[in-house]
Amino acid sequence: MKNTIICLVALVTLTLAACNSDNKSTEVNSVTTDSGSNTPAIPVVYACPMHPEVTGKNGDKCHKCGMDLKEVKTAGPSTSSTPVAGGSVSIKGLVTAYLELKNELTKDNSAAAATSGKALVNAFKNFNKSGLSTEQVKVFDDIQADAIEHAEHIGANAGKIQHQREHFETLSKDIYDMVKSLGAGQVLYKEFCPMYNDNKGAIWLSETKEIRNPYLGKAMPTCGEVQEELK
Amino acid sequence: MRILKKILLVLLILFLVIQFIRPTMNTNSQLLPTDISKLVPIPDSVRSLLQTACYDCHSNNTRYPWYMNVQPMGWLMAKHIREGKVELNFSEFGSYSKRRQLSKLKSIASSVKDGSMPIASYTWMHSDAKLSAEDEASIIDWATRTRDSLEVKN
Repeated sequence: MKNTIICLVALVTLTLAACNSDNKSTEVNSVTTDSGSNTPAIPVVYACPMHPEVTGKNGDKCHKCGMDLKEVKTAGPSTSSTPVAGGSVSIKGLVTAYLELKNELTKDNSAAAATSGKALVNAFKNFNKSGLSTEQVKVFDDIQADAIEHAEHIGANAGKIQHQREHFETLSKDIYDMVKSLGAGQVLYKEFCPMYNDNKGAIWLSETKEIRNPYLGKAMPTCGEVQEELK
Repeated sequence: MRILKKILLVLLILFLVIQFIRPTMNTNSQLLPTDISKLVPIPDSVRSLLQTACYDCHSNNTRYPWYMNVQPMGWLMAKHIREGKVELNFSEFGSYSKRRQLSKLKSIASSVKDGSMPIASYTWMHSDAKLSAEDEASIIDWATRTRDSLEVKN
């Protein structure tokens, strides 16, 4: 009987010790490229806007970032590793994820903003820097560390939209600096809301000239002005 | 009855055994060159506020109350400290990039302003860490001014 008790105690202790030891080790997402999943009969390919190597059927979600797969226009199935012309890397995926987050905030949709925030974290973490110059890598690393943190906070604070917007403000500056340095690959507008944060004001980036304010949301949807056009 | 006794005995033994599993202490009193005080001016009043209300979880030097030597309290605190330091570590503030330093200062001000920091579970045990309205105002003011001055330097 005594032996049983001792064994039991030892077992429980070990379990607790294991729980206590640093369980923060980051999950390593095993990146599995499903090479054989392309259905050759159908020419329409759906791929993740951020991870072109992730393909699937209409309605599928990317296993890396959870975004909906979009139709790929090109006929060839091997568009995945084609480098962007000029050797520069496109940050379009990051911008797309940011804009999605922005649009959820304009709708006061905190839960969806959290989801987009998480998608943006993944987009940053999986971003392939190989085409950047050393100078660009420096800028990118600096921005990435900060932006991931803000996006994580937005992702973790569903239901607290004020808190999400606070992080979105700094995140917007990060993305603006990144677009300035690396180029977005699309026209963007730097827009400014003079009223946010006790009239200190805040900027955001938008794909349209038309103002839809992500800071004040539905309360004052059209408050703001275009400050700069980024090409 | 005998069963109950046995269970109690097991729990007692368990409690005694877990006392031997101690988390590493977060104590390092030497001032690192990356410490925030080497980087930006901090008025003494603000410094002592930060030390009492923030440093236990946001620096490399925690003041441990006696009951933290009793497990599982110590484990719980170790977890808090680990998470707190990931978010913000005043001892290593200088190792952050300029961009992140600005971000952190902004977050200090906003989390004190909205009352999310210091967290309730901490002030519940450490009543001295509760910030009065003036305390809050002086931290917010310091963080905002410091942020502005760093931004100008950039």
